[in-house]
Amino acid sequence: MLKYIVRRLLGAIPVLFGLSFVLFAFVHLLPGDPSRAILGQHATPEAVARLRENLGLDQPLYVQYVTYLGQLLRGDFGASIINNRPVLSEFAIRFPATIELTLAALIFAVLVGIPLGRLAARHAQSWIDGGVTVLSLVGISIPVFVLGLVFVHIFAVQLHWLPTQGRLDPRASLDVRTNFMLVDTLLDGRPDLFVDALRHLVLPAIALGSIPLAIIARITRASVLDVTNEDYVRTARAKGLRERRVNDRHIMRNAWLPVVTVIGLQVGGLLGGAVLTETVFTWNGVGRWVVDAIGNRDYFVVQGTVLIFALIFLAVNLVVDIGYAFLNPRIRYS
Amino acid sequence: MVRLRIGAFVAATAIMFAACGTAASPSPAATSPAASGSTAPESSAPSAEPSAAVKEGGTLVVALPGDITRTDPAMIDDSNSSYVMQNVMEGLLALKPGSTSEILPALAEKWTVSPDGLTYDFNLRQGVKFHDGTDFNADAVVYNYNRWKNFPKELQDYTYYAGAVFGGYGATSNIASVTAKDPATVEIVLKKAQSNFLIAQTLTVFAISSPTALKAGKADNTEKDVSKVTYAQGGTGAMVGTGPFKFKEWVVGDHVTIEKNADYWDKTKIPHVDDVVFKPVAEEAQRVNGLQAGEIDLAQTIAPLDIATIKGDTKLQVIDRGESCNTMQLSMNHKYTPIKNVKIRQAIAAAVNRQALIDAFYAGLATPADNWMPLGTQYAKPLGLPTYDPAAAKQLIADSGETDLSIDFYYPSDVTRPYMPDPKGIFEAISRDLEAVGFKIVPHTETWRPDYLDHEYAGNFEMWLLGWTCDWAGADNFLKTAFFGYVDGKPSTEFAYKNDELEKTMNDALAATDENTAKTLWEHAQDLLKTDLPTVPLINSTPPAAAQAYVKDFVGSGGLNEYLNSVWLDK
Repeated sequence: MLKYIVRRLLGAIPVLFGLSFVLFAFVHLLPGDPSRAILGQHATPEAVARLRENLGLDQPLYVQYVTYLGQLLRGDFGASIINNRPVLSEFAIRFPATIELTLAALIFAVLVGIPLGRLAARHAQSWIDGGVTVLSLVGISIPVFVLGLVFVHIFAVQLHWLPTQGRLDPRASLDVRTNFMLVDTLLDGRPDLFVDALRHLVLPAIALGSIPLAIIARITRASVLDVTNEDYVRTARAKGLRERRVNDRHIMRNAWLPVVTVIGLQVGGLLGGAVLTETVFTWNGVGRWVVDAIGNRDYFVVQGTVLIFALIFLAVNLVVDIGYAFLNPRIRYS
Repeated sequence: MVRLRIGAFVAATAIMFAACGTAASPSPAATSPAASGSTAPESSAPSAEPSAAVKEGGTLVVALPGDITRTDPAMIDDSNSSYVMQNVMEGLLALKPGSTSEILPALAEKWTVSPDGLTYDFNLRQGVKFHDGTDFNADAVVYNYNRWKNFPKELQDYTYYAGAVFGGYGATSNIASVTAKDPATVEIVLKKAQSNFLIAQTLTVFAISSPTALKAGKADNTEKDVSKVTYAQGGTGAMVGTGPFKFKEWVVGDHVTIEKNADYWDKTKIPHVDDVVFKPVAEEAQRVNGLQAGEIDLAQTIAPLDIATIKGDTKLQVIDRGESCNTMQLSMNHKYTPIKNVKIRQAIAAAVNRQALIDAFYAGLATPADNWMPLGTQYAKPLGLPTYDPAAAKQLIADSGETDLSIDFYYPSDVTRPYMPDPKGIFEAISRDLEAVGFKIVPHTETWRPDYLDHEYAGNFEMWLLGWTCDWAGADNFLKTAFFGYVDGKPSTEFAYKNDELEKTMNDALAATDENTAKTLWEHAQDLLKTDLPTVPLINSTPPAAAQAYVKDFVGSGGLNEYLNSVWLDK
């Protein structure tokens, strides 16, 4: 197993190199120049040229890329072109917000999606199954930002049940330590603010989790139905095992594998979806930061954050693969 | 345009001229030649007349369109940063709240200007302390001005206004010297007369910071890497001024908090609220949602189309900012055919129905433009530019002799501006008007920043939508800075509009040392522009704000010089 993990980690290196190149090319091939973004409408050509020189943008692209790679190897992801703050430290400040949101969305998607899928499978071809299918299609089809704005209008503006945006009541005073609001409110001994942070999390998490929920429900349903028709399930039932035991030990244990794979894959989708969700809900995470950075041609922020996202995605995939072995003893890596 | 929308000021030059070698007058009014830069009854952060039962305390939550960029006033050029800082920092002079035409003494109680317009003596307010407890005095003023004048080359890209207003840095700066004549008097000597010098001192970028804080925050021109200038990056001890609020914290991307300065030097203007939290909310819809849900007290800017929603909610109020300080125009580049033909430009001006645009996109909070600057601006006069007359437009086209009436027309795809709330909609309406008289419009769109601005500046566009929000309501700021001033002695690539007489007239006007000469020259400049019609001014608007009904005594300003110390919460 250890060998397998090491091999996977080594295999990630060329992937990251390739990604860094593609990203670099993509960002630099975008029309426009960050110098103009910084200096504004009436900057003189001299000022633009001087800033380009200061930022190293006057160098040939391959020189810029090599310089960037050198920085990366030293663990330096560069600094924002717009406000000069180091990408890594800015990322570290904002990432807890994104993790909190994506985790909440994932938990919501799993906790609701799997039971829905099982329910649909158990009542296959019934109206319940049809209802879950429709719900899934709706979840997949509606863009996150549309769903987000609709939720805000209904649950925040009209019903006043939940807040419209942000992570905490702006009037609240909190000693921020980890930037995980749920954690910080508890560390600060403020259960009232913990509830407030939780309320702020509900709508964005549901909006972001809607697509993974739909996918997880669909996959769970299909997987459970597949396994249900296997001989060993029939045998188990023929042996007189209780239905609950058949479900837990024979059906779900084997139905988990594709579901876990999909859940792992959804992490990437959630990180992508967070970009839109954070923008709609004024959620101060990495996603909203990247949107602003793309608009400003803030090269280092875009490259740095996407690379870090890629690293996370690779790591999650690895964890999922290892999870297979745990869930299914027949799988052994070497 | 992202430069500051700090304030509008009609008669700055009048003040300077009137003050030349004269004694102080007690009136702060700047619109009359009798007014002077002098002792005045109001401070730099005055409040409106307080209502009878002002309630103290509470937190005011303000939604801004975006986050601030830095915490050093000298290193900002965006309206969000300025909006926050004008409540924390003060300069020698300030604009009267709600006005685009009156200047007030701030840290300078009075001032005089020499007859040649070169020497400015500022008498400073006594007994004022910075938020860090150090004394405000002439040495502090000298320190700040010398810092701005001598920004190292590496930092100059972040200090647009210091370079633009003072004409450069170091030896090229128009400031010859800044001297503390005594602890309460500062003398600034210019190399050549500059009639916008006084008004420029009202810009937040020229607020006086505590020298002690500047040095502690590596903002003393020794640190050349802006990322390490902690005074600019929100570190402890950043944004240390003398204003009615003190800087508390900046959580990047999330909020900026300022708190009441109970020791403010003008005891009658101490803020009523305990704190102000500024939240960056980029989505216009979310600003309105936040207001409706009661999470936001004041939205600094809302879309005109949201006004109906706000008015339909009894818990909310729309804030009309009064005088406009912006112009939207159909920008044109004279290297293209048929735009280079003046009759074609006149035809375009006559083809566009400005009032229909105002009704459809500005909720009525705008007026058709009859100049390149709003008519409340210093020296602006009605020009009688062509108005909506499709028949006249068709005749002008016929008279032009042009046969190819195809025009490449651009608009930005991903932005709204205070003067341009719906670029695509406005573009489509104008295109329809132009096609109705015979033009063939070839539509183009690009993302606002950097593509759109980059390409229009480079001269790649034939005709495009763009405007200007004033730094100050002066003719120089609109006609020369925003639109038609030459760049490095040549017509700008942006408009490719060559008019040497206009350029000379504007430069002479800027250097004039008496009001009559300046007025005559600026009016001549406008006449020249009317003849050529190099671009087509369309609309002057006032971007609306909205607030909870319980937000009291907020004084809106077309230039966004809005001070929050007057605000109190009736709840």
